[in-house]
Amino acid sequence: MYAIKTTQFSRNFGNLKAVDRLSLEVPRGIVFGFLGPNGSGKTTTIRLLLGLLDADEGQAEVLGFDTRQQPDEVRTRCGALLEHHGLYERLSAADNLDYYGRIWHMSKPERENRIRELLSPLELYDRRNEPIGRWSRGMKQKLAVARTLMHHPELIFLDEPTSGLDPVASATLRDDLETLAEQEGVTIFLTTHNLAEAEKLCTQVGVINHGKLLAVGSPEELRSRTSAPRLYVTGKFAPQTIDQLKTNPLVAKMEHHSGRLVLDLTDLTRSYEIVAQLVGVGAQIDEVRKEKADLEDVFLNLVEDENRGVA
Amino acid sequence: MADIFTVAWKELREMLIQGDPRGRSKLSLLIVVAVFGVLIPLQNGRAWVDSPLSIIVWGWMPFLWVSGIVADSFAGERERHTLEALLATRLSDRAILFGKLLAALFYGFVLTWAILLVSLVTVNVAFGQGELLIFPLPLSLAALSFSILISGLAASIGVLVSLRAGSVRQAQQMMSIGMFVLFIPFMLIQFIPANLLQSLGETLKRTDPALAAIWVTGGLLILDVVLIAIGMRLFQRSKLILD
Repeated sequence: MYAIKTTQFSRNFGNLKAVDRLSLEVPRGIVFGFLGPNGSGKTTTIRLLLGLLDADEGQAEVLGFDTRQQPDEVRTRCGALLEHHGLYERLSAADNLDYYGRIWHMSKPERENRIRELLSPLELYDRRNEPIGRWSRGMKQKLAVARTLMHHPELIFLDEPTSGLDPVASATLRDDLETLAEQEGVTIFLTTHNLAEAEKLCTQVGVINHGKLLAVGSPEELRSRTSAPRLYVTGKFAPQTIDQLKTNPLVAKMEHHSGRLVLDLTDLTRSYEIVAQLVGVGAQIDEVRKEKADLEDVFLNLVEDENRGVA
Repeated sequence: MADIFTVAWKELREMLIQGDPRGRSKLSLLIVVAVFGVLIPLQNGRAWVDSPLSIIVWGWMPFLWVSGIVADSFAGERERHTLEALLATRLSDRAILFGKLLAALFYGFVLTWAILLVSLVTVNVAFGQGELLIFPLPLSLAALSFSILISGLAASIGVLVSLRAGSVRQAQQMMSIGMFVLFIPFMLIQFIPANLLQSLGETLKRTDPALAAIWVTGGLLILDVVLIAIGMRLFQRSKLILD
């Protein structure tokens, strides 16, 4: 059974198609990354899946429950960290978690144990009785993640959890998310536009733009499916060498910046031919490296292609 | 029911226990108790306990207390970006709405009765002269029902305003206008011709106070129920999210 299954799921705001015929299947127990630029429909998708907004068309099931007919069942089994952390800043960290424990009818000892269990690995347990108003954004965000897990949900939605954090706080939170995901065995639906984050945390990713799902698969699959293999050559190249390379039928695309050539080849196994050609014309080569494009390249290609299509 | 108490617990905790790290809210509560529990009863003397007019004060007080805090209920959650997280929980619409109403009502009721008890102590200490001064039973019963119903009235008006308002400040302004409108009839009394006022007074004197209290209680109850029903109708998760 899937944690999330949507079929032709759509939501419009006036003329704007916020989510456009989204068909998606997210297996249980994985970290699923939902990638897209700002305003691409990621947050609206989460709101629809939680039954906070109604879809105009299509169907969605979350943990086997219809989001339109059984939104309460969905919300009972899920946790959510949405656009804002949603913590009560005048209350202490413990009270914030305690409130959510009460909402899910956890007993007092259960709540106390769970607060210790969640806050200890995040190094926040000793500060649990402080009002959180003066905490750093990173600490609040960690607490908000703990809050989504308080009631042992089967699925959690995290809407750009590292957004607005400095690089150190982001890296720490990513590590904590990885630990918690392993420890809790929960399905995570994570939206982000941070590709490194998706690469590190996600088993599968989906790319969305203008409400449309452009691609789904593991980061590895997406890299091999949507981008050409690349050859990186560093050295000194004469202008005529560059011109000669451009006419080589093996080269699909080429970029040259300050002594660095990036070549998209039609067949990466024949890269030796390029090296031979460069050596033959007297280019001084420092380094040659073959690799597939990273997720960021895949993402940018998909989004750019889609934007061209929309335009 | 447990969910309603859970929401009310959080509201009261935010209001009273940890609401203000510098203790300003506790200090303002002390000032309120000092003015209404000590100063005004001292000015009124024994009349504070035997005059039926004190019922007006008892009715007015909970409205004042509740309207001061209830504007924060939804507008505050929206302003501090906590509303969406709350709406994404398993809590039903009714639990959230009634929890917030209950917290405001409880606050108004408890504060009113705390002040009345302090005022009784004040009057007895200052004017008792060995005699125990207490409110007559019918007056106490009327005060009990009025303090609940008027707290409920202020809470339901406040929640309605707070549901629609864009910010806490806007909700507070709307509540202030509401309070002003409520007092317009009292201000207009001076413009009523003397003979009409006299005949009105005669009619009031002839009216059985118990019967009048029952009528007022019934009217307030109906008003509370109608306002709560409107609140339930207006409370829509999708609308609150998009607002």
